Amino acid sequence: MISDFPRAPLPLPDEAEVDSALAAHGGPAMVPADRRRTQFPVITKEDVFTMLLAQRQEPEKVVAGFTEAYRDYVGAGYALPTASGTASLHMALAGAGVRPGDEVIVPAFTFIATAQAVVAAHAVPVFVDIDPLTYCMDPAAAEAAVTERTAAVMPVHVHGLPADVPSLRRLASRRGLALVEDASHAHSARIGPHVAGSIGDAAGQSLMADKNFPLGGEGGMAFFATEEGYRRAVRHLREHGIDYRMSWVAAAFGSSQLGRLPYYDAVRARNAELLGDSLERTGLFTPPHVPEGWTHSYNMYRIGLRPEAVGLGDLDPHAVKAAVHELLVAEGVPAREWQNTPLPFHLPFRERSGFGRGYPFTLSPAGSREYTPEDFPNTLRMLDSTLVLCRELRAPVEYERILRYRDAFAKVAARPDAVRDLAARQEVPHPYERAARLG
Amino acid sequence: MELFDTAMVLTRVMTSGVVMSIEKSDRELPGLERLLTKRTKRSHAVLVNSRTAAVHAALAGQGIVHGDRIPGGSLSPETRAFVNWLGVETTGTGAPAFDEIALDAHVADSLPERAAEATAPAIVVDLTGLGFGPAAAVLTDDPTVWARAERLKIFGAHDLRTMWTQEESMPDLVPGVQFNYRLSPLVAACARMALMQTARKNVETGARL
Repeated sequence: MISDFPRAPLPLPDEAEVDSALAAHGGPAMVPADRRRTQFPVITKEDVFTMLLAQRQEPEKVVAGFTEAYRDYVGAGYALPTASGTASLHMALAGAGVRPGDEVIVPAFTFIATAQAVVAAHAVPVFVDIDPLTYCMDPAAAEAAVTERTAAVMPVHVHGLPADVPSLRRLASRRGLALVEDASHAHSARIGPHVAGSIGDAAGQSLMADKNFPLGGEGGMAFFATEEGYRRAVRHLREHGIDYRMSWVAAAFGSSQLGRLPYYDAVRARNAELLGDSLERTGLFTPPHVPEGWTHSYNMYRIGLRPEAVGLGDLDPHAVKAAVHELLVAEGVPAREWQNTPLPFHLPFRERSGFGRGYPFTLSPAGSREYTPEDFPNTLRMLDSTLVLCRELRAPVEYERILRYRDAFAKVAARPDAVRDLAARQEVPHPYERAARLG
Repeated sequence: MELFDTAMVLTRVMTSGVVMSIEKSDRELPGLERLLTKRTKRSHAVLVNSRTAAVHAALAGQGIVHGDRIPGGSLSPETRAFVNWLGVETTGTGAPAFDEIALDAHVADSLPERAAEATAPAIVVDLTGLGFGPAAAVLTDDPTVWARAERLKIFGAHDLRTMWTQEESMPDLVPGVQFNYRLSPLVAACARMALMQTARKNVETGARL
């Protein structure tokens, strides 16, 4: 039997290790090489038992029961289960009334599914820059991109921090646009009491097995504020013969995971706070910015760098980042880059062939717009000067593991000389000029 | 399939901890691919999360895109609507762009014979009727059809790593519109077991007679 049970525990942290030689210089790694695997999702006896019970139910009832439970948790008016997050975004756009040739404003920094869902809706994505603090869509940039063809604005709650939806709602109301959330990172994230997915006119959310709220494999959920929106999406599926149905196997897995989601959210929040407090003390690192009243769900944890705070202000930020990245990885912290290429520069949006022969890009003048990296200065700055943790904060990792991550950041931050030496020895292109380093 | 057998399969996969379709260590999806290629005597299988995803993959794999035409005579109204939604016109008769085989527990053992009769460059095998939710596959002997279809289902990438890095050594194969059509390993494991059992029941061992 192959099992995901960890074979060896991590040793408890020891403060003396922070002062030891860097692992990149031959010292001991903060997280030993054979203990670096982070298991996610957590699958329990409860999940197995729920799955076995589901076998004895009608498949449609399993999916419907899960859908209603999650709709109620999110607080949305209506919910439509789908086979993937991309499908849910497509349905959210269809339900919001987006039609072929419409323009939909999306952030340049997100996963490609956001913009591909717009293309799936036979509409044209229009890319705008992000806010420099939250890394979510900049409302001012969105407003500047509105044309008479704009039908919707689709912010992404990047990494789990809700975008500035109040500002975007005012924009949408003023210009007669639909507000569609991409909540694929933002399970349980909130603005005040309002859960991501329930704030816009419609929303799409990935529930793939590597998200904070995982289903058994792949899945998604589209949410709608009104019955009209929900019915429009269902009609779209029927008229076009599209099968986006969710498997009962995925839904059964989600039913038991949903019951434990608040627990895992609490562990994520606790670990994020613990790590954030210690990062602030390093000088070099900064934790994610969370506006007052916002609840971050930490699907990813983006860490900023302040080279000037440790005497490295004369170096290029991206050179410092590359050096720090290498030192952290050597310590066993699987820090990553994520989506180094802003969406307009991904192959499908450079070539814009869409479904073929340029459809639907040929339907709108925005479809032929040429973007340059300079259109997205905040995105480029963020890519130059930040790193992300993924499963390491997403999973309810052992307490000793989060403490060891904490100590690894402190260890690297205490060696600006080593960062300087490494940065000086490396010729590193800007992140947007190369593939992302995944750890 | 017996409930006990399904329970065993689901428990086995969940105990492995690998339930994501893009995990390097997943063994369920490759296992179903191998079984389907063996049964159909085709070189390549592309697993997807629905029949319509397989139709899309079969067309995109052959480079049939928006503005193209295929014979529509043999297509069901639902399939025709979907193909039209892709922007592909369906007119008249002729050699089909793809053959369709729908399997359920009663006819699953007919896959080899039906695949042998198929003549199109791609076969859409609908596995939904096996009872584990929407699931399908495209079977083909054409490596380019396979490579394009694989990239359609995972955002133009060809594995987990390139999905995140967007690196591509063969940009001509990257589709313009991309989806997540990936199949769950849990569903794949159940479908594989169901197909294996249909083969066994036709083997007369005499053990239970």
